[in-house]
Amino acid sequence: MTSEAAAGVRPKARAEGSTLRRRFLSFLLDWMIWGYIAYGVMYLLNAYWWTVPLERYYSTLTLPSWGWPLAVLGTLEMAVWSRNLGRSLGLKAFGYEVWGADGKPPTVGQRVKRALLWHLSVLPLGAGFWSSPERPWHDRLAGTELHVLPSSPAPKRRKALFSQWGIMSLLLIALTIWLGWLIIKIDPRVLIRRWDEGSRIWLEMLHPDFRYFARPDPAFELRNLSFSILDMAVVTLFMALLSTILGAALAFPLSFLGARNVMGFNPAGWLVYFVMRGLFNIFRSIDTMLWAVIFAVWVLWGSPLAGVLALTVHTIAALGKLYSEQVEGIDPGPVEAVAAAGGSRIEVIRYAVIPQVAPSFWAFTLYRWDINVRMSTVIALVGGGGIGDLLFYYKNQGDWPKVGAVVIVIVAIVWAMDYISGRLRERIV
Amino acid sequence: MAEPYLVVEHLTKVYERGQVLALKDVSFTVEKGEFLVVIGLSGSGKSTLLRCINRLVEPTSGRIFLGGVEITRLSAREMRKMRRKIGMIFQQFNLIKRATVMTNVLTGRLGYNPTWRTLLGLFPKEDRELALKNLERVGLSDKAYVRADELSGGQQQRVGIARALMQEPELLLADEPVSALDPATSHSVMQYLEQMNREDGVTVLASLHFLSLARRYGTRIIALKEGRLVFDGPPEAIDDAKFKEIYGEEAEQVEVR
Repeated sequence: MTSEAAAGVRPKARAEGSTLRRRFLSFLLDWMIWGYIAYGVMYLLNAYWWTVPLERYYSTLTLPSWGWPLAVLGTLEMAVWSRNLGRSLGLKAFGYEVWGADGKPPTVGQRVKRALLWHLSVLPLGAGFWSSPERPWHDRLAGTELHVLPSSPAPKRRKALFSQWGIMSLLLIALTIWLGWLIIKIDPRVLIRRWDEGSRIWLEMLHPDFRYFARPDPAFELRNLSFSILDMAVVTLFMALLSTILGAALAFPLSFLGARNVMGFNPAGWLVYFVMRGLFNIFRSIDTMLWAVIFAVWVLWGSPLAGVLALTVHTIAALGKLYSEQVEGIDPGPVEAVAAAGGSRIEVIRYAVIPQVAPSFWAFTLYRWDINVRMSTVIALVGGGGIGDLLFYYKNQGDWPKVGAVVIVIVAIVWAMDYISGRLRERIV
Repeated sequence: MAEPYLVVEHLTKVYERGQVLALKDVSFTVEKGEFLVVIGLSGSGKSTLLRCINRLVEPTSGRIFLGGVEITRLSAREMRKMRRKIGMIFQQFNLIKRATVMTNVLTGRLGYNPTWRTLLGLFPKEDRELALKNLERVGLSDKAYVRADELSGGQQQRVGIARALMQEPELLLADEPVSALDPATSHSVMQYLEQMNREDGVTVLASLHFLSLARRYGTRIIALKEGRLVFDGPPEAIDDAKFKEIYGEEAEQVEVR
């Protein structure tokens, strides 16, 4: 029987494929780490060494044309050697460890041999890997194996601080702080030097001016915006509520289209699933602020409608993704039971899926509500409307007491909504 | 001679992912009113066989006839209609844990009601009365409005039986119905199945782990080993040699009393 022959071969090939992928990703991680270190070293050299003014005013150190291949190969070699002389971060992250085939830790000779022979496996277009993915040529010749922990016998391991990956982690953190400091141009002295500016704003904001709390500020008549702080607070609240309700209501049905197990395993289901998940991811990766920019131009700058649209779109995408992941994580048992009783797909969703996901759906919706409340207070910065309009207007005027009043109202809104959603969450979970 | 009630012909199932062969050329027939027990080790294909009969699992090849209808050729819609007559109970009970016992039992009527009613949860009065009657039958009438996950394992399986009863089935598929239960509860559940079989004339196909249970309740036994049918006959016909063939050399018989 043909299927029988296939039964013997296929699963093994699959397992090997995934092994190769894991090994490759693990290696890639090490390579990227060395690439990062190389970049860091170049940056530091530029910052500290090449700052001496030379004859040419342009004195940054740049790589010559032959430098790029050198950097690529150099970091590659560093990755290879670091993976063989000790346990690199890439090995650690994927749970790998180089080990002798005889069950003992590899000798230094074996480690060096393995690093050298690695080139033999890779150079003929990776033939050493393809021919025997479980144990490529260099492992066979050096008498070593790459163990996936914890299947290997628990060896005596070094403390993190004395192992390569531990030292490397510390080094990477230190390098990142150092580079970040230089790149961002961090200067804490500014905070002291400009203390007067800061303290003035703080003091003025701490004497809030609530004159226009309940009646419109005449200054806005020019802008056709005759709203008081209170009016705008109500607008903002409704922006958050409306966008959460609309977003959740639309994300709810769409999330089932983005769930693998609901869409079934036929080509049409695949397509819908992929399109849905793709849309969720794309729409989600465009931030609410960017959506607001788009809708502010489209609808009207400063219109709360633009803000609601932006918040709603992002809510649909974010909740859609979270919801569909929940749907994919359900226990398939009840689905089977409802289908076995003659239930259609929509009945399966109604009776087997929704009861299982309801608590987490509510929790995610409340979490999104918190986000939308916070976002709606500042979305006016990009034309989304709401109480932020007042905030940024007064800020531009330098009218800090009024800014203080608006900020206090914003804090009150956020705090009150947080409290309510927190209480609701307790009730549901 | 009349056609047997259930006919399985050359049934083969290959799972696409991993190309695992679950059933190899399995053929047998079942007469109406039989209590057929399927035995075999875990992974021998018992669950797959039962799920092929109501097509929760699509067979790769082979044909299945139920009451003269070729099940393997039905469209999805026709199959849904057909499933009304095929009750099923499960090893893990597969109840909707967060819903009441009543709702769980009523899901047995999904195939009989229009979708707009079921989506709104508006089951007809007769269905609700039937549900209470069936709950009473399995001794759970006082638990109708309790959440399903508050019940013990044995009680949950009895809810599963009540749900299957709601379908007024002709055929009952029981996939390891007592594997998750202790021995005493196992017998009470098996007795409900026996009662359905004898009093309501429901044909039962049950997969069981323990040979002692199979002997006690089955009118006939079939055995699967690595997806192949290795035995088909009356319970008495399984002697020590046959037992070792089905369960492997090292196996010992374990009694469930």
